[in-house]
Parts: sequence; C-alpha cells; structure tokens
Amino acid sequence: MTVVGTTPPPRLPVRDKAARHRTGGVSPMLTRLAAERATGVLVRASGTLYLAEGRVVHAESPLAPGLGVLLTAHGTLDARAWQDAVDRADEPGTADRLLVDGGRLAPGALELCHLSALYDAAYFALAPSSTPGRFRYGATHWLGSVHPVPVGAVEHETLRRRALLHRIWPDPATDSAPLERLDTAAAPAVAPRQSAVLARVDGLRTATDIARDLGRPAFHTLVAIRRLAAAGLVAPRTAHPGTDGSGPEHPDPGHGAPATPARLTPVGPRTAQHPDIALLKRVRDALEAL
Amino acid sequence: MPGIDECLLEAMRLPGARGAALVDWTSGLALGTVGEPPGGDHEAAAAEAAELARLAAEQRAFAPGDAEAEDADPPVEDLILSNRDSYHVLRFVRTSFDSSVFLHLWLARADGNLALARIRLGEMAGRLVLG
Repeated sequence: MTVVGTTPPPRLPVRDKAARHRTGGVSPMLTRLAAERATGVLVRASGTLYLAEGRVVHAESPLAPGLGVLLTAHGTLDARAWQDAVDRADEPGTADRLLVDGGRLAPGALELCHLSALYDAAYFALAPSSTPGRFRYGATHWLGSVHPVPVGAVEHETLRRRALLHRIWPDPATDSAPLERLDTAAAPAVAPRQSAVLARVDGLRTATDIARDLGRPAFHTLVAIRRLAAAGLVAPRTAHPGTDGSGPEHPDPGHGAPATPARLTPVGPRTAQHPDIALLKRVRDALEAL
Repeated sequence: MPGIDECLLEAMRLPGARGAALVDWTSGLALGTVGEPPGGDHEAAAAEAAELARLAAEQRAFAPGDAEAEDADPPVEDLILSNRDSYHVLRFVRTSFDSSVFLHLWLARADGNLALARIRLGEMAGRLVLG
C-alpha cells in the first residue's frame, strides 16, 4: 500500500466575521463612508442610500413603496401635488419646503412618513448581497435633508428588523414569493391591519405588490405576512414548473409595471439552468445574515 | 407647526414628565426619544411598549361598539399603565397615510397629572400630523 503525500487542500475562503461585527455588520463600505463624512449615493443590488456628510438622508428600494406612493395612496397628498414637487425641485433641498410651505403637508407628517420610508427602504437596500455596492460622490437627492439619521442607527435597525421577522416566523420565503391563502378549518381571528393584507393575497401578488397596493411600508407588510404565515393562513405559492416565471405576472394592469428586481422573479429560465449556484448563493446569504 | 423632536420636547414640559418617545408599533422602532428611558434603555423600552400597543390596537374587545369602529385605525385612542412610582401614557397618532405610531410619555407618579397629560398628548398627536 502506498501512501501518496498530498498537500492539504487550501482553506476555504471565509469572510472575516469579527471584522464585520466591528464595523456594524451590514456594509463595511457604508461604515467607511460614514467615517469620512461622505456625501453621495450608495447603490447596492436591492436599493440605494443617499448620504449627506456621512448621515443617511434618504433611501430607496424597488422592494419598498417610495415616499410618493405612501403619501398619495390614501390621499394625504394628491398625485398632482407630489408630481409638482418632484418637477419643481430643480434645486436640491427645495422640495420639502415646497411640500410644507404650500400648506399641503404638516412638517411632522412629512418627517414621520419620510423617516418611516427611509428605514423601510434601507432594510431592503442593506440586504445581504453578492455584488459590491458602488458609491457616487457628490450626488444628492432632490428632497434634500428631512431628518438625517446616523449610519450606525440605520444598520442597527436593519439587523433588529431581520431578527424581528425571524422571531415571528423563521421562513423568509413569504418575503419575496407570490403568496397564496391556505384553507384552514378553524381560522383564527385576524387583526384589521392584517386582514387588509390577507384580502390582497391572491396567488400572484408578492409582499412588495401588496405593500404598494396598500400604500404601506414594505417591512410592515412583511411583518403582517409572517404573522399570517405563522397562523397558517398564508404560504408562498408552491411552484409549478413550466407554468411559473416567464408568463405575464400581474393581474392589475394599472400598476405601470415597475422594474421587477431579479430577486422577485420566481425561478426564471436562466436561474433554472444553474440551480446549484442560485441555491448556494441563497445559503451563503442566509448564513451571513445570521 | 412642530416636527417630531419639538413634539417630544413639548411633552417633556408636562409636570412630572421623565421621558417621551415616538414609537412605531409594527417595527418597534423609536422614531424619536427625549429624557430618561424607562427601564434604562430607549430601544428596549420602545420595543416593549410597541408590543403592548400592538396588542391593544388589534383586539376587538377594546374597540368601540358603534358602527364606525371599523373605520378607525387603530380603534384605541390611548393606553394608561400605572405602577407604584410612575404612569405610562401611550397615545396612538392617527395619520392620513398608512402608519402605526404612538406617543409614549413616562410620568413620575408624585408630580404627574394623568388627566392633563392625556388631554395634552391628544392635542400633540393631532398637531404633529396636521400642523
């Protein structure tokens, strides 16, 4: 019997977790930008963060309804007034004054809604991602600075929100998949805010669609859906290979087809050819999110 | 026409006020805090108060009995909690957009005036979002 002396395989590349904890644990790049008091926009795979002197002043994500949707969905502002503010905001920072001074919106209401939208979009923008973020120095958001938030607070809140969702119902599948209702013999009573969500579960809509439909922050919708999932009333739609994916998705033509991010597309043809890679990426993201 | 911080500072001018916060009861996030944190930690206090507020807002038993009950979101106006040395008043803020926030005021029992605090918090909640 011969023993072949082989060199041990190289160590698997492991990201330095301790370093991530030191830097807040969400995005080292963001921490660095905060430290250098940078102004500009950080573009990540699932959203963007606007920084002014190292503080977060605005956040956007295709997975979260924007401030305009939140303010116009229930008639707080009419759509024309919002569009007017967007159009006339040629100088950065003028629009919030326009909204408030025109008497259309109380400053407290704008601040409250804006802050809520900021944390909401930041939650998605800071989701674990395999592609590195890009930062454009100097870029500002037209709305200016309503209520700047320290980067550390946004990162901390994002981690807290992940833990909160996990505590309610540990399966994240309901966050992104089309949802369907489950028939239960003895359905538990559903709180009014959750029943508004439940009424929109139709086998096609995702959490993002429902949030936009309700004009409700997306994270609030995720919380409601995880509670409904925990109660056994809602589940991610079981995939039917062949019928899933490429066909027309939306039951509601009035949606104006917003750009659907890749994460939302249910197993498309491209990813289907490489199930291992997609799965491995998801496993890695999930492990990193721990 | 106050913003969040002005509103909380106004709450702190009430006799016996020890701490105040504006909290989102779905996420448990404190959108603003002033003064002392009940229990020593603003974040934990906000999360715990949010749980209590959510339960109160979601139970049918606490909703008014009339037909308009369905429309009010949330159906509860405020929550009052007392212990040996303090009061907590949680006042729900009704907004014309979709939100789930409340004002949390912590009052020292010796100096606090619960009736006055309830009235003033209601006024502040209205002014915060209506200007």
